[in-house]
Amino acid sequence: MSSEKSTTLFIQHFQPECRFLHYYLKEMEGYQGLKKAFGMSPSEVIEEVKSSQLRGRGGAGFPTGMKWGFIPKQSSVPKYLVCNADESEPGTFKDRDLMRYTPHLLLEGMLIGAYAIGARSGYIYIRGEYAREAVLLQEAIEEAYAARYLGSNIQGSGFDFELTVHRGAGAYICGEETALLNSLEGKRGEPRVKPPFPAQAGAFGGPTIVNNVETLACVPFILRRGGPWFAQLGKLEKSGGTRLFCLSGHVKKPGLYELPAAGVTLRELIYTYGGGILNDRKLKAVIPGGSSAPVLTAEEIDVVLDVEPLMKIGSMLGSAGVVVVSEDYCVVKLIQRIAKFYAHESCGQCTPCREGCRWMEEVLERIEHGKGRTQDLNLLLQIADNIQGKTLCALGDAAAGPVASFVKKFQSDFEAHIRGGKCPN
Amino acid sequence: MPQLTVDGRLVEFKLGEKVIEVAKRAGVFIPYFCYHPGLSVVAQCRMCAVEIEKMPKLQTACSTLAAEGMVVHTRSEKALQNQKSVMEFLLINHPLDCPICDKSGECDLQDFSYDYGDPYSRYTEERRTYIDVDMGSVIQKNMNRCIHCTRCIRFGEEIAGIREMVALQRGNQTEITTIEGKPLETQYAGNYADICPTGSLGLKDFRFKKRVWMLKKTPTICEGCSRGCNMEIHQDSQVIYRCVPRENLEVNRYWLCDEGRFHFRSYQKDRVLFPYFKGKAVDWSLALESCRNILRGKKLLVLVGSDLTQEEITLVQEVLALDHAGSLLFHFGTPGMSSVSEDGDADGILKRKSKTSNLHGLEHLGIRGWDGLGAQAEALLVVRAGRAQWGKLPSLPSVGLGVFQESEAKQLDVILPGLNFTEKDGSVMNFQGKLQFFRRAIAPQGQSKGLAELFMMLRRDKASEVGVAS
Repeated sequence: MSSEKSTTLFIQHFQPECRFLHYYLKEMEGYQGLKKAFGMSPSEVIEEVKSSQLRGRGGAGFPTGMKWGFIPKQSSVPKYLVCNADESEPGTFKDRDLMRYTPHLLLEGMLIGAYAIGARSGYIYIRGEYAREAVLLQEAIEEAYAARYLGSNIQGSGFDFELTVHRGAGAYICGEETALLNSLEGKRGEPRVKPPFPAQAGAFGGPTIVNNVETLACVPFILRRGGPWFAQLGKLEKSGGTRLFCLSGHVKKPGLYELPAAGVTLRELIYTYGGGILNDRKLKAVIPGGSSAPVLTAEEIDVVLDVEPLMKIGSMLGSAGVVVVSEDYCVVKLIQRIAKFYAHESCGQCTPCREGCRWMEEVLERIEHGKGRTQDLNLLLQIADNIQGKTLCALGDAAAGPVASFVKKFQSDFEAHIRGGKCPN
Repeated sequence: MPQLTVDGRLVEFKLGEKVIEVAKRAGVFIPYFCYHPGLSVVAQCRMCAVEIEKMPKLQTACSTLAAEGMVVHTRSEKALQNQKSVMEFLLINHPLDCPICDKSGECDLQDFSYDYGDPYSRYTEERRTYIDVDMGSVIQKNMNRCIHCTRCIRFGEEIAGIREMVALQRGNQTEITTIEGKPLETQYAGNYADICPTGSLGLKDFRFKKRVWMLKKTPTICEGCSRGCNMEIHQDSQVIYRCVPRENLEVNRYWLCDEGRFHFRSYQKDRVLFPYFKGKAVDWSLALESCRNILRGKKLLVLVGSDLTQEEITLVQEVLALDHAGSLLFHFGTPGMSSVSEDGDADGILKRKSKTSNLHGLEHLGIRGWDGLGAQAEALLVVRAGRAQWGKLPSLPSVGLGVFQESEAKQLDVILPGLNFTEKDGSVMNFQGKLQFFRRAIAPQGQSKGLAELFMMLRRDKASEVGVAS
């Protein structure tokens, strides 16, 4: 679903038959990037990825090459490469299709990453609900072992890599990289104190890189065609490649759209690609980056969909899960539901998140059911402020940011609930 | 040495130290709940967050490494606001039942609420409640008071070496409890109550017994084994209510085993508190006269408990030299253990194999363990402070000085009641060769008297004899 000028990397291969090794080798230059990497030194590979301007697709948007560069060259304990396939952000469904249709792209990306950082073993931590995808990944891994793309002395290169699929048990917090590592180690899935960062001491105490599925799936293209080629696919200097946008909610054509990074505005995505609002209603609100991104109003959609432009207007690109809300839907109910999600998914370790998320949910529930008080709006903003930036991990921000943004931007809707004593919708 | 600034004070620090430790040394107290110097750092409670220049967000002082040139503000507007908000968050679901809570008066949550919190609550929703499980004989649980600091979980795993406390559920419903609701197994369970920053985990033994602000505290040394853990006796009106550990990083760090903690209870029942003759309480004159008849001019077998203080042993040695030259002197204390070479680590945590406090001190004074010899002596003198255990005593006319149980009274012909470790000053030497002093916490119970006084009373008639002769 690309515009004529742009190139897409993934979406043309999102077909059931594409998941097999023979397709990957024949139609997608399969494992050519790995072959090229084997001809380079690990630090040359990292430099190549740095020049590609690839930034993490999981939510934080951190430059991937730089992240890999943090891994110490020498380590007395084993290093690990972990793929974060715990795609749990509401409104996000890109990694699922990547694993479903192009699993070998992920495997090749991991192999290149492992070679670059010197890891001999890797894990794909996949969310528990992706049961089918876990099976498909396992099949792809078995294919790769049989064809000597995994295991010892891969393709005669002398490089060894063992890859294991690990299924999560259904906690959103395990998408946070240190909680993911805890869960992987068999511990309670809760974030760790940083520092030490995973690159210093991650899985089982070894230096560890955790990358998102889409991030790793980009890596083979970078090796095959060069970092600068990948970088020019993106339309902003710091954002290379293409991005998978997950468009959902009240649009006519929801789905996955692969577009140049920073190559499209929110308005274009909704109206040009998504075909406009369902039933031709008016746009009420957009959540641009998964449910943890602060909401945008209909007046704010001329923003370029990328990390910095969205940050500038107080929201974030996150996992690029764009949720569109029409005027028919109650925004108070929406934020109440979002707050409920975060209260439910808070791990309970740190005070502001454990107590604050639930408190916000309770107040919002009261307002939605017409039992709100005028001082509640101020209270919500203060609770959100007391959570934001003060928690152990990013989940607190993910819960507080949206609440604050909804209350500020849709104050009249909240007031209508409080005044009327019920939900007007 | 590198330096940093905390609230305007320049402080030196060692590499690897955390901001919270450096600040404390500089006299700047940063409030905290989950942090404990003896446990790993989790930075969960967020109470210790401080502002550090050039860092955009507040940083938890417990987890942030001190760095050269760092400028820390613990009372900045942002830091104060955070402390206020953390207190509010911690209290919205807390029952605020301080008036009936045993922790009240020594509760971090209560103290910090006064110091850093708001005096009113904005919370109007229903408070979270839990149903409690029974945690065994030592600890009384009240989950509603819990603030999820996880100190107890970490204590179990890191110090007691047992994973028995866990966090169940998650988020707002997180419950800190034992695995499958089983009773606690560790023999260090009392520490759970010490480290709990609220009244969530309390001692069953102390429950509803005393308001803590009425307790007088006396530093002492546990007499439970040869480690000599530093602890405090808490008493009111001459009644001991509890013992708690006292920090000594070289001996017991912050901890105390349950055996040592509750040892004082063994002196609160069935103790011989009056002079005894043939198992029955008698008056002093009869008891003293009987003692003199048994001991006078005899060659003695003297058995001293390795629970006596250095001062008491020295006294015994001097009296023997004066009145009973040629007597045999041995120590006893832990059945089957006759010398320090048999002492050793008992559980990898604190406990030692020697079940008395001064075995090492006695051997230091040249006294050897009793191995059943000495039956050729004419009479037996047993001196002990209460905890030393003997095997089988030789059947000789016998006198006991010190602390004995009713059940032991029949084994000795005469008993003169003495003082236990809570009733006297003294010093004992632990297995590290460390001489540790302790103070008298309560007055002697019943008619018990110090060893020096007992010896004086026994010798009084001898003194008058000398007087008559001259």
